[in-house]
Amino acid sequence: MSNTATSSPPTPQRCEALNESTVWLVYARKTYDEPLYEVGNVMADDVELAKVYARSIFDEFNWIEMVIVPRETIVTVIAS
Amino acid sequence: MTSTRVDNAALFAVLSSLADNKQAIGRRYAYWSNGAPALEAAVAAAAMTQDELGHARTLYPLLGDFTQAEQEPQQIEPMTRTLHYHLTFLDHDFQGWSDFVATNFLVDNALTTFFEAAQDSSYEPLRLRSRKIVQEERVHAIHGEGWVRRLAKVGGAVRAVLVSSLNRLWDETLCWFGPDDDPAMQQLYQDGVIAATPAELRSRYLDKIMPTLNSLEIPVPVAFDAATKRWQPTEPLPWSRWDVVGKRLRAEAS
Repeated sequence: MSNTATSSPPTPQRCEALNESTVWLVYARKTYDEPLYEVGNVMADDVELAKVYARSIFDEFNWIEMVIVPRETIVTVIAS
Repeated sequence: MTSTRVDNAALFAVLSSLADNKQAIGRRYAYWSNGAPALEAAVAAAAMTQDELGHARTLYPLLGDFTQAEQEPQQIEPMTRTLHYHLTFLDHDFQGWSDFVATNFLVDNALTTFFEAAQDSSYEPLRLRSRKIVQEERVHAIHGEGWVRRLAKVGGAVRAVLVSSLNRLWDETLCWFGPDDDPAMQQLYQDGVIAATPAELRSRYLDKIMPTLNSLEIPVPVAFDAATKRWQPTEPLPWSRWDVVGKRLRAEAS
């Protein structure tokens, strides 16, 4: 199949356009006397959607606190 | 024997519509619990499915408290109910993810607008359920708005399909609150069952959704009235097709 030449930028394919690229690490804790620990991660380019995803995916406990952190902000101090 | 049931046709009708819409939304969402564009969105769809069906399950039993249910007791159980007072749009499977997003953003927010106005209802069972539903719906609203932004910003065909889905739901969702002079809704307002008239509910609803649509430049037939500081429809709603009993629009004649 040939492509028709056009001056406008190509529209991304639907699946490609909807691919998420930002990884958020999810931290949570169940009691006040324990620290936040990593429970997993979600992918979303929108922070509000990332919060919804974290809530719905990691809903196995009644967490007292949950936070998300973009993985790209992590600074390595001692590399493995 | 004196019946202790509530005799209120207007309240019975609106509760039927709320329950049927919640049930229908839940069933449509369920289909997308393994078909969303990403795993995360699929899990969120599953969670929202549970919430919507849960809301329906808390509403249907209320119908049994009404004298209006005495003649047809089978109509108070979702499994035996043959009346379907949900939006016509929800009669059929979603054509794609954009229909999910449009329902999430438009219909779910419309129902929540009603529940927000019933949080101090004079009818205690509705008051208690409304507070819980409004709390749970906050996450749904964030999901709907997030996905509308996401699909709109992709542009091209993705945005066009989203706009098409929103347009197909637009009139029916705005109509769902009823005509401004709807006697049943006015009666509920007078009785303190809800804290707003149909016109006020519609206005509150537009206040809720229009900032998002406006910021994304998605065209819808409303305009901001600077004098009243309210969003107002710029085209008449299709009340000639309004089914008063089912609180839904009849299909357009082809």
